[in-house]
Amino acid sequence: MCNLIWKDIVLQKKGSLILLPALFGYIVYNPSYIWIGFVFSVVIILDVFAKDEDSAVNKLLNSLPYTRREVVSSKYIGAIIFTLLVVFAMFIGGLLFHREVPAWKETMLMVSLSMIAISFILPFLYKFKTQYIFRAFLFLFVVYMIVINTFIKNLNDILREFVQTILTLQDPSVFLMMILSIIVLYSFSWLLSIRIYRNKVF
Amino acid sequence: MENVIELRNVNKSFKGFQLKDFSMTVKKGFVTGFIGGNGVGKSTTINLIMNLLQPDSGTISIFGLNYKQHEKEIKQRIGFVFDDNIFYEHLTLTEMRRIIKRAYSNWDDNLFRYYVEQFELPLNKKIKTFSKGMMMKASLTIALSHHAELIVMDEPTSGLDPVFRREFLDVLHRLMENEDKTIFFSTHITTDLDSIADYIIFIDKGQHIFTKESTQIEEEYAIVKGETELLDADTKKEFISIRKSNHGFEALTANKSRIEEMFGQMVLIEKPSIEDIMFYTKKGAEWHV
Repeated sequence: MCNLIWKDIVLQKKGSLILLPALFGYIVYNPSYIWIGFVFSVVIILDVFAKDEDSAVNKLLNSLPYTRREVVSSKYIGAIIFTLLVVFAMFIGGLLFHREVPAWKETMLMVSLSMIAISFILPFLYKFKTQYIFRAFLFLFVVYMIVINTFIKNLNDILREFVQTILTLQDPSVFLMMILSIIVLYSFSWLLSIRIYRNKVF
Repeated sequence: MENVIELRNVNKSFKGFQLKDFSMTVKKGFVTGFIGGNGVGKSTTINLIMNLLQPDSGTISIFGLNYKQHEKEIKQRIGFVFDDNIFYEHLTLTEMRRIIKRAYSNWDDNLFRYYVEQFELPLNKKIKTFSKGMMMKASLTIALSHHAELIVMDEPTSGLDPVFRREFLDVLHRLMENEDKTIFFSTHITTDLDSIADYIIFIDKGQHIFTKESTQIEEEYAIVKGETELLDADTKKEFISIRKSNHGFEALTANKSRIEEMFGQMVLIEKPSIEDIMFYTKKGAEWHV
């Protein structure tokens, strides 16, 4: 399985060389680590996934001595590794351009958000093709626009406040609860993807 | 004799297609050709053998092992070639080697280099620029570079020009002379089989029609040509199927000696090609229905 993760990192190497300057560029002008880190992690993980989406590549991976469980698991473990690499790049960027590293709470929140997003996206991608995820994003965007225009006009403020509340939280038990629920969600998504992929026909 | 591949009463159905109670065996140390028309279930069977598909019912064992408990062990010992490109198109063969070699415990870089040189494959050109022939040679190179005991190929010669095809078959030939390998490959180009197949498995409409030794086919089967008057209810039974025309009849029999006994010099007996056998067997199946 390590070979599969290694393969993804090798395949992503060229793409990362383009993304890294972009990441640093954002950090220079707008050190909002949560948002930047979240977007970059998710984009990289989606790109890694898209490279293996072709049915021919699936045929290759499943004809090689790997099990389907390993193929899926490599993506979930790889997603965490890629998120941590983004965190690492953010730390370097922060130190280079602002002489400070992102606060641990911001980093935690960014990693959590990425894991939540990935938990929802990966099973969806295993079930459907990437083209549908764009439609799904479009649909969510429309729903979001309708919600902020008609039902909850101050949704963005609520979200911003919510983030602030989390960042100012002092109670460690709340953090622990959050981390635990994210781990549960991620594991559930992982198992679900294995289940979906188990009988997939390429 | 040891069986490397064994399918027992396998059923698999898709929308509009069904593999029905399919059983077959592939013997160790021989080349087995898997023939049948387009869309009769050859690729489905190969996908089942490669565990890319799971059967609805029935058992599949490779090297006497099942996929449920020994998936990785089985796949370590198989080399595969598919008729389409299954590599990352934007990579070069060198990059592809780096990715694939890590999967196999028996990967042999010397063997890889040997085949790359023999096939004159470019190592640093992107795979998407490869011609169909180069693609097949690259696939075969990778399939042969980890000392696989079983080589499974799905239509490896389709789309190759005749010269390439001969070269490809020559490589397989040499491989069988020097090593104790088992080769199983599907094809609808029946002339491929004349030169290298020891056994032939014939599939039609998702059903196993026969498995025979190539020499056995030569001994048993014959194309019989003669006057239509020779055909009556009794003699007709001796044929798998018959084609009549104004000039007489042409038919396939699976009992050459009996026909020779029955008709003697009255008919012309010819050696059938595998294509003849496929054609008449298929026709016969429809006829009997």
